[in-house]
Amino acid sequence: MTASGTSTSHREYFWRKLHSFTGIFPIGAFLAEHFWSNSYALVSVEKYNEVSRGLQTIPWRVPLEALLIWLPILFHGGYGVYLWWKGKSNVLDYPWMANWMYTLQRWTGLVAFVFIGWHVYTERFLTQGKSTYADVERALSDPLYFWLYIVGIVATSFHLGNGIWNFLCKWGIATSARAQRGAAWFGALVGVTFTAVGLAIVLGVRFDWKPFEFYTLPRQ
Amino acid sequence: MAEKKTVLVRIKRQLAPDQKPYWEEFELTWRPFMNVIILLRDIAERPVTREGKVTTPVAFDANCLEEVCGACAMRINGKARQACSALVDQLEQPIRLEPLTKFPVVRDLFVDRSRMFENLKRMKAWVPIDGTYHLGEGPRIAPEVQQRAYPLSRCITCGNCLEVCPQVNERSDFVGAAIINQVRLFNLHPTGAMHKRERLDAVMGPGGVHDCANAQNCVKACPKGIPLVESISEVNRDAIRQAIFGWLFG
Ligand code: HEM
Ligand code: SF4
Ligand code: FES
Repeated sequence: MTASGTSTSHREYFWRKLHSFTGIFPIGAFLAEHFWSNSYALVSVEKYNEVSRGLQTIPWRVPLEALLIWLPILFHGGYGVYLWWKGKSNVLDYPWMANWMYTLQRWTGLVAFVFIGWHVYTERFLTQGKSTYADVERALSDPLYFWLYIVGIVATSFHLGNGIWNFLCKWGIATSARAQRGAAWFGALVGVTFTAVGLAIVLGVRFDWKPFEFYTLPRQ
Repeated sequence: MAEKKTVLVRIKRQLAPDQKPYWEEFELTWRPFMNVIILLRDIAERPVTREGKVTTPVAFDANCLEEVCGACAMRINGKARQACSALVDQLEQPIRLEPLTKFPVVRDLFVDRSRMFENLKRMKAWVPIDGTYHLGEGPRIAPEVQQRAYPLSRCITCGNCLEVCPQVNERSDFVGAAIINQVRLFNLHPTGAMHKRERLDAVMGPGGVHDCANAQNCVKACPKGIPLVESISEVNRDAIRQAIFGWLFG
């Protein structure tokens, strides 16, 4: 990727930008899809199992999963660990807001990496890709699993919300201080929304709370 | 009369680049309008520690004494800033003075900031006008561009923005905010813009603009109030455009 035919190496630039981009697409987009599909747990057990089954039986499932989910997460996560190691937070010396965000972006990424690895292993591989509502319910009845989910969801949602802000600044989409403030609010909104939806799903399954179940009732 | 007012200061000293740092404490007579440079000069006049031990004067770098040369940057009570504009009356005592940590120490508070100059060269942050004949006057600059460029031109290469940047450290060769800001400045200049492509090419190279991870400390630490975050974002925008369009069509 040499832009003007000189000998400057642009390899690192390319990987950096790819890392940044994969955070939004496909990983961020998949997270949105994942929270959406799992929200069916708030409608009914049958609906949830129907939607899960639908996703589990799409054609070309494994290659699609590999290309759109596993590979991007492995790359973003792996390169993310390298970037985490390369930065040296000084937030205790300079406790400014954006500096906290910088530090948290790195640590939530690491938490997300561990959580996703464990989550995929238990819910995707141990169930041979045929996980049902009952599997999720059983997992969440264990307090340890329950709290791991809470931590994983909060960390990942923060990471995506703040990551969107980072992305908008780092691709020169929001350049002025004003635009970056707007982008920060947008990122915060995304982070809070994902946290709220994610927690609602976990609490819904754990406490058998079905706020949208009335959708399935016959018309009066 | 009341007791004579004194100033307590602890200084991290280091006699040579390869020697171990150590701390010394001094107690000085307070003077009105004292700043950290005056304080260091008072020590030079009478280099005796608080315990009464005769020592060497503390080495430091300073020139303009009015925050325009950049030389006197150091860590004062843990924060990177200019010593000449740090008023003793506004500092918590004992005042802690340390050299910047992102540059090699020459001696005591004196560091070698030449890496910034090397990086300005590496990122082509200048306008090449030398040649074998007189090039004449450059194009005129619109007032609107002048107004945008002027604040960027106020950089004094003090290095505070590098000192506070978590991405500038021994594991990374990130050039830091000041250098990227200069890339933007020279790209804005109509004569400088003739080399915009080369400059962006350099800034996408190792240690370039992509190493910024948006901690935004630079803009808070800059004594000249330069909109560094905006500069980095603007250079990022130009760079990605050149990368994508250069790659697709170039
Ligand atoms: C659900 C999974 C994930 C999502 C949705 C996600 C999303 C994002 C987004 C949108 C960004 C902003 C891009 C940018 O800074 O330019 C980002 C940055 C980052 N991510 Fe992730 N990420 C995820 C997982 C991970 C994992 C597993 C790690 C591993 C440690 C990680 C580490 C990082 C780091 C270090 C950055 C900052 C890069 C920099 O500022 O230079 N992320 N992520
Ligand atoms: S940009 Fe500001 S902090 Fe950085 S070197 Fe220039 S004047 Fe100093
Ligand atoms: S002596 Fe010049 S900036 Fe302080």
